[in-house]
Amino acid sequence: MSKRLEDIAKEAMHLKLMQNTRRNFLKESFLGLGGLALGSFLNSCGNSTDFKNEIAFDPANPMAARPPQFAPKARSVIYLHMAGAPSQLELFDYKPDLDKLDGLDCPQSFLEGKKFAFIRGVPKMLASTGKFKQHGESGAWISNYLPHLQTVADEVSFIKSVTTDQFNHAPAQLLMHTGSARLGRPSMGSWVTYGLGTENSDLPGFVVLTSGGNNPDAGKSVWGSGFLPSVYQGVQCRSVGDPVLFLQDPENVTRDLRKASIEAINKVNQEEYKEYGDPETLSRISQYEMAYRMQMSVPEVMNINDEPAYIHEMYGTKPGKASFANNALLARKLVEKGVRFVQLFDWGWDTHGTSEDGSIDVGLMNKCRETDKAATALLLDLKQRGLLEDTLVVWGGEFGRTPMAENREGKPNAFKGRDHHAEAFTMWMAGGGIKKGFSHGETDEIGYTVTQGKVNPHDIQATILNQMGYDHEKFTYDFQGRPFRLTDVEGKVIREVLA
Amino acid sequence: MKKRITLIGAFCFIVTLAYYAISCRSQQTVDFSTQVKPILNKKCISCHGGVKKQGGFSLLFEEEAKAKLKSGNYAIVPGDVSKSQLISRLTLSDPEERMPYKHDPLGKEEIEILTNWVKEGAKWGEHWAYKSVEKQEIPQTGSDWAKNDIDRFVFEKAESEGLKVSAEAKPEVLARRVALDIIGFPAPDSIKNAYLQNPTEGNYEKMVDQLLASPHYGEKWAAMWLDLARYADTKGYERDDVRSIWYYRDWLIKAFNADMPYNQFITEQLAGDLLPNPTEDQYIATAFHRNTMTNDEGGTDNEEFRVAAVIDRVNTTWETLMGTTFACVQCHSHPYDPFRHEDYYRFMAYFNNTRDADTFADYPLIRHFNSDQKEQLNRLSNALNNTPEKERIIHFIKTLQPALNSLETDSFINSELSDTKWLAMRNNSSARIPDFDLNGVNALIFRLRSGLKKGFLLFHLDKPDGEIIGKFTITKPSDGWENKEISILNQTGRHDIYLTFASSELADPMKTGITFDWFHFTKNFPKEVNQSAKNDFWELVNAKTETTPILLDNTPEMSRETHVFERGSWLSKGTLVKAGVPASLNSMPKNAPENRLGLANWMTDKNNPLVSRTLVNRLFEQLWGIGLVETLEDMGTQGLNPSNQALLDHLSWKFMNDYNWSIKKLLKEMVMSAAYRQDSKVNREQLEKDPVNRFMARGPRVRLSAEQVRDQVLMACGKMNTEMYGPSVMPYQPDGVWDSPYSGVKWIKSEGNEQYRRAIYTYWKRTSPYPSMINFDMVGREVCSSRRIRTNTPLQALTTLNDSVYIDLSAKMVDLVGFQKPNENISKVYSLLTGKKINVERAAALKELFDNSLKVYQKKKEKIPERQAMILVANAILNLDEVITKS
Repeated sequence: MSKRLEDIAKEAMHLKLMQNTRRNFLKESFLGLGGLALGSFLNSCGNSTDFKNEIAFDPANPMAARPPQFAPKARSVIYLHMAGAPSQLELFDYKPDLDKLDGLDCPQSFLEGKKFAFIRGVPKMLASTGKFKQHGESGAWISNYLPHLQTVADEVSFIKSVTTDQFNHAPAQLLMHTGSARLGRPSMGSWVTYGLGTENSDLPGFVVLTSGGNNPDAGKSVWGSGFLPSVYQGVQCRSVGDPVLFLQDPENVTRDLRKASIEAINKVNQEEYKEYGDPETLSRISQYEMAYRMQMSVPEVMNINDEPAYIHEMYGTKPGKASFANNALLARKLVEKGVRFVQLFDWGWDTHGTSEDGSIDVGLMNKCRETDKAATALLLDLKQRGLLEDTLVVWGGEFGRTPMAENREGKPNAFKGRDHHAEAFTMWMAGGGIKKGFSHGETDEIGYTVTQGKVNPHDIQATILNQMGYDHEKFTYDFQGRPFRLTDVEGKVIREVLA
Repeated sequence: MKKRITLIGAFCFIVTLAYYAISCRSQQTVDFSTQVKPILNKKCISCHGGVKKQGGFSLLFEEEAKAKLKSGNYAIVPGDVSKSQLISRLTLSDPEERMPYKHDPLGKEEIEILTNWVKEGAKWGEHWAYKSVEKQEIPQTGSDWAKNDIDRFVFEKAESEGLKVSAEAKPEVLARRVALDIIGFPAPDSIKNAYLQNPTEGNYEKMVDQLLASPHYGEKWAAMWLDLARYADTKGYERDDVRSIWYYRDWLIKAFNADMPYNQFITEQLAGDLLPNPTEDQYIATAFHRNTMTNDEGGTDNEEFRVAAVIDRVNTTWETLMGTTFACVQCHSHPYDPFRHEDYYRFMAYFNNTRDADTFADYPLIRHFNSDQKEQLNRLSNALNNTPEKERIIHFIKTLQPALNSLETDSFINSELSDTKWLAMRNNSSARIPDFDLNGVNALIFRLRSGLKKGFLLFHLDKPDGEIIGKFTITKPSDGWENKEISILNQTGRHDIYLTFASSELADPMKTGITFDWFHFTKNFPKEVNQSAKNDFWELVNAKTETTPILLDNTPEMSRETHVFERGSWLSKGTLVKAGVPASLNSMPKNAPENRLGLANWMTDKNNPLVSRTLVNRLFEQLWGIGLVETLEDMGTQGLNPSNQALLDHLSWKFMNDYNWSIKKLLKEMVMSAAYRQDSKVNREQLEKDPVNRFMARGPRVRLSAEQVRDQVLMACGKMNTEMYGPSVMPYQPDGVWDSPYSGVKWIKSEGNEQYRRAIYTYWKRTSPYPSMINFDMVGREVCSSRRIRTNTPLQALTTLNDSVYIDLSAKMVDLVGFQKPNENISKVYSLLTGKKINVERAAALKELFDNSLKVYQKKKEKIPERQAMILVANAILNLDEVITKS
């Protein structure tokens, strides 16, 4: 266990003892404001076991750091989502047999009872456009699309056997991040911040960064808080404009003036508290103070100008642009500062072959060039700072792509492309208690279906929660009269990839 | 499990109380609902309930619980503890035998309760919320404090909880509170001044009456309903494209303002289309259930998302109107409440016969004609007076229904469903409309789009080369989507109809030549009617109008069957079911039709135990920040117990019987009560005994809703644009918030006065909601939401401190009050926002801010430094806790 994890475990124990709830908050307020004794009945029920699965969520201080259910392996998550779904067949899932079938009609047996988003009738098989070699001591297959990732193959666990039951972008992204294909459920980052709060109250606990020019297909719902209190939604940090909406003081309001105005507000609020005695007023006083600090700390962490040249070189960052590289570097800075969950969405991986940008030979190669160096740098940078061991990095899309060429509306597409495919794709994880240089699961000889070690999005979620110290089956929130969990009624931790 | 976001302290208190209640009651008869059922739910039912029935034993329904076990024994033998395995297995020493299996044994009191219950005959009880509402006896207490019956219930409860009720709040505080609650922002002077100058009982009542009569009342209360109806201006999912459904929002505002009786309010929303000769408004009301999401993403299975919408309608109907979680029953019998798996699908059958099918255009729609078009429609209607076709033709003009969506075609050759939305045909192509009843059909109207100048479209019977029963020739490119008509040769019986298409203009065999939206098989326009009527008909059919998605049932030809979905999956269909309601609730009223209208009759029957209680509870939550049953979404056995059930039942009964479902009357009784008018100051003792004010021994004090935060400032600075209704508006929002894929839709800031409309008119995009309102706990409106969980966060502070909207309004405030006399100006801003006179301490703190900032602005050589300083102060005032909070 790293030093930091030990600290977290200690802190967790401490917090558990403190039962940092509103009850405590009230107690402190009373003590602070006149030293009144706490009523005895409040003390009488501190050790009730009935509440053990419940989060001691305090609406007056909803982001307070809270202990997980058990000792965690990771304290932060960086989730890199390639929105649009990268082709596993071009990047990781090496299938020489598929290459031999290139251009032949897809056998009927593959098509019977199957449903595709765009393939109609009988499509043709399509060889991989990637050139594959094994890399590292682990001998991981990685294609020439990802020359940088090749160099860190031994840091990573590949999961080649991911499946989903959604073959459209928005529902599949929702399933991957909220556990349900419909809108309205909390996202993984919301669950984690609801459970754990944040270690740095001057920054949001759950930060989202987007690149590629668009938000993901499912919109902000993939970082929404669903039925959890809205405070747990992801806060989108932006490279252009206010880094967080409404963070910047208006023109004409200097830092000193802002300080003065918050002091005046809080002075009056103290008066209000004296009159009404509502603890919510005290809470508002502290939220205004926190807002002031956040105005300093967010721009600070979002500024990458002052990073040394070798870091810029490593990531390929260019300050001032909304790029994946910049976001990867920001992700490192954010977890370094104690942000719990950082989610990166990079738009543009939907390679149907309806345009050159959306083709597997040109478009996909471009997307890899935009991201490979930075994703690799992120792992190396986290490692050199000793952060990788307790930061879980996850990479993936929302589904995979077919071994057949897409033939939209029954016609061959203009460029090389593959349709959406729910039955097999590859994701990788690294750091945060994940095995190094490992590969889990297998697909058949053309990468069409999973033959071994099948996992689904709920398993991925269960695994992430497990690394954060949560049993996904016992981590629930009551809504519409029933307990909900991120993994719905499914999910198994993928033990094979755990170190 | 209960919702634990409430203060743990409150729980401890309840737990303690419950413990005492239980121990006190142990000499009396054991009560099933309050004593036995909670133990069964907590300790037994996860293995012996709806989902699992270990040992063949289930405690969900009485007949199951008392039935013979697999072992041949009985779990419960009423009156005979020794033969009842339910009791004997609780205390065995063999851990394999002792129950609960692999869990801690039950506590002594729990065992005692269960034992006594069996001893006393194991009488099964019904959960309070599933029993019909009874008239309550009014407690004879609190007579000098009480102003109406509500107070007698409140007083009795407060007393029994050891709480003292509070005195009345100051008039200026009360005036602000009641205005925020009834119209959503502080009252204009014209309404409140008479009361403030002379705060008599009569003047208070007059003020309340004026507020209830204000058109802004409807806007405030419609906002509550919009969360329940999951109202948004977009369709959801990937493209999250525009949906025009604001007529429904306006219908709600009007219905609240007109104080439409709640039973009618429900009926029109659930089944307005099934009422005799429905009006345009009654159709619009059904848009309630068309706020479900539509998935426009290319390649989606439209049936999947139609099913999702229907399921959402079932869940929303239960949660919104009956405060009950029904969603569990989708997958299995309810583990806690008396609803069976099949009940879900019987209930779903009421909703499963609607025409909507996740189409791009959100069909079916009601078309909104302008006054000229309405006149034309009247003329046509009169011309058709003596024909049997009148009703059908008028209905078609209003709705362009019944139409068969081109999505329902199949057997494509050189044709496809383009983007899984429309039938697209290429040169020498065919496609099939499967199995259609052609009896009485001799015409076909269809909606098409084609850029070609020539082409032949043929309709064949039964085979792609079968008998030609209709043809259409393209002679010029269509003007976008157009509706066309052809004659069809008379047929009898059901047939497949094959479309074939060819055009010499299409050299590229891969190019689409024609695209179809829908087909309407019909009869020729009546020959006996004059030509000008037929012209009116076509002009109206092709008229471009505003539209609103509505509910419409299938014709018998198109009707759908409903099956149980095994384990809730729409892909595994089980037994066929007929529409019906759960047997555990009130029975269907006699003569209720077997459709949504019958369902509405059942819900608004006075024997329905849930509908009136749910509404009364919602009103309480709106006023007090917490419902009488805190879990607004679930009054079932898994919800929290009511804090004052007698009061809930008293008002629910009165609402149906004395008030004849009038919401305004009910609301008036609530705000006239002494309980509501109490001061909201809280002392340590009250806070300990009742931290969240469940027992109402003090007035409500809660943070304003997202809407109120905005509206209050708009009103106070004199900028509120009080215009009502119409399409949603786009007030300022920072750049770059909307970045949806495949969508050219942009946030275009409303200009001039439009940006100062009330919050309820703000454009709501599901995948990218208005950020400043989301920061104040507004919900996303993706699914039905009964309550907003109030949080207190730094992002809220940043919103009112820095959002350009609030900076602009701070400046407008200064324009209104001036900046030359700082002391006066500050106290004016303060009183505009709080309704109160500023006190010395507050005035001093704010004046200090003014002085300090003035120095800074003078130093910076700002043009009018006093104005800048006053803007900063005005902004500080609108950030005060007492401004953001209703006291």
